[in-house]
Amino acid sequence: MKNQSKRVNKLIIYVLLTIFAVVSLLPLYWVFSTSLQLSSYQSEDMERPVSYVDSNPPKLYPMGIPLYFEHWGEAREADKAGNAEEEAYHREMMDHIVDNTFSSFVSLFQKHDVGKWFFNSVYISVVVTVGILLIDSMAGYVLAKKKFPGRNLIFWIIISTMMIPGQVTLVPLFIMVGNLNLMDTHWALILPDLSMVFGVFLMRQFMYSIPDELLEASRMDGASEWRTYWTIVLPLAKPGLAALGIFTFMNVWNSFLWPIIVLNSAELYTLPVGLKTLQDANLASFKLLMSGAAVAAIPMIIVFILFQRYFVKGLTLGGVKE
Amino acid sequence: MTQVPMGAVPKKGEEKLKIRKRSNQSIWKQMKKNYAAYLFLLPKLVLFTLFVAIPVLWAFVLSFQEYKIFGSEFAGLQNYITVFQSAAFMAALKNTLLFTIVTVPFGVITALIGASMIFALGKVSQSFFRSAFYLPTVTSMVIIAMVWRWMYNYDFGLFNYILGWFGVDPINWLGQSSTALWALIIMQCLIPFGVGIIMYLASMGSISNALYEAAKIDGAGSLKQWWHITVPLLKPTTLYLVLLSTIGSFQVFTQIIMMTGGGPGNATETLVHLIYKTGFRDFEFGLAAAQSVVLFVIILIFSVIQFRVLRHDE
Amino acid sequence: MSKMFRKSVLTVASVGLAAGVLAGCSSEAEETGSAEEFEGTITIWDGPRWPDKDDNKFHWLEQKIAEYEEANEGIEIEMVQVPWAEMGDKLGVAIAGKGWPDIAPVDISGSAVSIDHIEQGVVEPLDAYIDDEAKKDFYENALDAYTYDGKLYGIPNSITLHTMLLNLDLFEEAGVTPPENGKWTYDEFLSAAKELTFDRDDDGKTDVYGFSTYIMPGYYEAWPFFYKNGGSPLNEDMTEFTFDDPETVQAIQDLADLKLTENAAPETHGGNDVGGTFQAWANEEQRTVAMQPWATWAIGAAQGAYPTNFMVAEYPAGDAEEAKTIGGVGGWTMFHQDGDANKKAAVADFMQFISTTDEQVTMAQNYGVFPARISAAEKDPFAENPEMARAMEMSEQVVMLPRHPEWRKIDEAIQTELQLVFNGEKTAEQAMADAKVVVDGLLE
Repeated sequence: MKNQSKRVNKLIIYVLLTIFAVVSLLPLYWVFSTSLQLSSYQSEDMERPVSYVDSNPPKLYPMGIPLYFEHWGEAREADKAGNAEEEAYHREMMDHIVDNTFSSFVSLFQKHDVGKWFFNSVYISVVVTVGILLIDSMAGYVLAKKKFPGRNLIFWIIISTMMIPGQVTLVPLFIMVGNLNLMDTHWALILPDLSMVFGVFLMRQFMYSIPDELLEASRMDGASEWRTYWTIVLPLAKPGLAALGIFTFMNVWNSFLWPIIVLNSAELYTLPVGLKTLQDANLASFKLLMSGAAVAAIPMIIVFILFQRYFVKGLTLGGVKE
Repeated sequence: MTQVPMGAVPKKGEEKLKIRKRSNQSIWKQMKKNYAAYLFLLPKLVLFTLFVAIPVLWAFVLSFQEYKIFGSEFAGLQNYITVFQSAAFMAALKNTLLFTIVTVPFGVITALIGASMIFALGKVSQSFFRSAFYLPTVTSMVIIAMVWRWMYNYDFGLFNYILGWFGVDPINWLGQSSTALWALIIMQCLIPFGVGIIMYLASMGSISNALYEAAKIDGAGSLKQWWHITVPLLKPTTLYLVLLSTIGSFQVFTQIIMMTGGGPGNATETLVHLIYKTGFRDFEFGLAAAQSVVLFVIILIFSVIQFRVLRHDE
Repeated sequence: MSKMFRKSVLTVASVGLAAGVLAGCSSEAEETGSAEEFEGTITIWDGPRWPDKDDNKFHWLEQKIAEYEEANEGIEIEMVQVPWAEMGDKLGVAIAGKGWPDIAPVDISGSAVSIDHIEQGVVEPLDAYIDDEAKKDFYENALDAYTYDGKLYGIPNSITLHTMLLNLDLFEEAGVTPPENGKWTYDEFLSAAKELTFDRDDDGKTDVYGFSTYIMPGYYEAWPFFYKNGGSPLNEDMTEFTFDDPETVQAIQDLADLKLTENAAPETHGGNDVGGTFQAWANEEQRTVAMQPWATWAIGAAQGAYPTNFMVAEYPAGDAEEAKTIGGVGGWTMFHQDGDANKKAAVADFMQFISTTDEQVTMAQNYGVFPARISAAEKDPFAENPEMARAMEMSEQVVMLPRHPEWRKIDEAIQTELQLVFNGEKTAEQAMADAKVVVDGLLE
């Protein structure tokens, strides 16, 4: 009796969570489904070509899939019946469906700068991530493990700016970047990103857990500070570095407000900025927009799936009670 | 090695170095001795000074200036007066507050409920649902906004289609003042608060089982256990999440620029979008700086209040 | 010396005028600097224009740059490619950040570069390089658009305007006769719009609407409708907001009522989705709207990327009895240079190099704009393009937007109120009364 009610409870939980999960994943699904949606199809009995992209009611999956198999089946039947003309027609329709399904991806890379934007996004995210990992772990290490005059002062100054929303510095940062002659360069993105303070905080928290005895032993062996840091501290900090690296990558990959301000040249755009210009241009169809969105989303999804556990770790580390 | 032996370092930033009590000369010596530490800090300090510290201070200076491309002028409090006299700013403030007041509690509460449900499951299901709810968080808001704009489309949108099942007339979601902001709020509510779910799950994992055992012996049902043990013990996490998402929601921007541009009228104008517009479309840098200082103060006030309230009844 | 001579010849050739300029060159050389003596880099911004066979939409300027660099050793020209939709904002941002290019394509009557910028000294006057004789070849309204306080701030290279585009297939399907010569009154337009609104498959849902457009700051497709009864947004000396006069209020209400009471426009009429609106008219799979107003670039699109059976018509005439349209003048402007007179001269020289009669003809034929030079128009670039020729006839109806330093904000105040009229939240009267408060404040 009791067991049964438990099972019912569990079932309810599963149902609720599944509904919740469907709702939460629906937009992403919609991106992929629309990017592969058939945008032009005309069978023999149709008066005018139809598009399933902006049809009402909306089509919930790429219509190319069932239609492809339909034509495939009919082509086989025509083949069996010996009707070569009929078969050729269906084969042609199958080709058309395949071409049309992937057409927007082809045109994204051929007619638009998406390939460049993709490269820019990867390049900037990687440079910033590597830079942050190095710079912040160095800073975090000495702030956690060394004592020197001014340490606490420096730490608190850095940490107190974490409370200040980024928009406060938007305008002055913009003027600064202009004065440094960095407008419309990737440096205008990279340098401010490298200055983010969250990583210092995270690294300092993490470095505390490294036993002092190990550092002491290394020092006894006559290793330089750099050597100690490089051979002892960094390897021990790997999980923390992984978490920080992933968050940095994600933030930089998705950053939007600052890049749309400082980048002018289309060839320098990152993916989110490029997507906005695609949406702003009157000539982009929704299928094309969603294909662009898919291109921008896929790398993050892969990173997430590969490094999931570090995401969890990073969040719980970052959220440490003050 | 006259100072504190390394092994005896007290934990967690609590220790106060006693350096201050020593003479200046000794500080100088110490600094010299620790030159390596300064070198390690140097890159971050340079970047931080250039791209964080100076801009922060500069923002305050700018907010008292009328910025001109060739030479700026001191403007006193004029920018601040303009901020509070502007109808657009007041609309933006109102919209941002409404957005925050609805979406933050909704997000945190659903995260708590969601996490509690997930926590009751087996390992495989746990990690599946955790991913499902976190995936939208790693996706760029630009993408999410593009899709939602489409879902709200009057003619082909999913929402109006679903309304059609119930015989409801289609709604011009983003096109009329009465629904536009709510459309954005609904969208925010339906994007799961992934960070919240993961943090709640982690915190739940660290609650000792003994507490539940004891409650069970007292005959408390699982709902009661949840309410009297889980929820109170998660309070620090809740506080953190409320602060985090309040700060985030005060900065709502991407949806606005991608979906409504602040319209119709000022119906979806928000503070950060207004700052962006003032700064980078009207190029009134002084005014934009003043607006962002006001935003900062508002966030600060909110944070302090939340901190007080949620802490107090602990 | 010989290099100098060659350069002068080139300049003369490119301006297409004889002695006057040559004389000008030698006499003013001291103050204005000399292009030949400049060595260095010039940056120019441009947006995508028409594609070549490799789908490169920047090939025209690339070609010009190559030619110019070839002829002028030591000068390097760097092109920055900026999408048109972002051009205005980006240019404004670049100006604010003191990171402006040397040359950019600017519709000075629009909002990217404003009178305010001229007043602040961001845009360079060009009078030293283009004398009165040279100016004679340009249409007067084109020059006017770039003249402020008696000085010329740009070389006009194209004129654009807004026209109505009618989908003739849908006219035929609905059995509506398109207006003769593209001229009609508002009543004729209204009845056409109503007849063009129909339910193709009798499922109770309207499949095709007669008309739609959108309302957004910086966009003026709908505005000629508001001018139709003779009104204008500001009075002559730009001291007062005048869109609240009864004639204009009526005109605004008329266009909004097309959706609100006549049901001849879709729900999205007056919204802010520019791309979606265009797709509804032009995309082969949609074609759910029969008539839309667009700038001339859309004529090119409907003849090229979105092949459509269409015609160009005028905006319907209202009480003022003559049709009006809004136009813009495109051209090249030079941005503030720090002292180097030689560089200034070189920049001006290159600007003229890309603004010759021949270049304007090329641009007119390929890019869907009208030349700003009389000599280019006389070459009849639209001999084989009746739709463009039809649109060009409309240039007499062009009204320019007010040129006020605060126009950007005035525009935003008006347009946000207009949005509320079109979604039925305010009457035109109420909205324009509310706009007046804000705009009159800005005009002070």
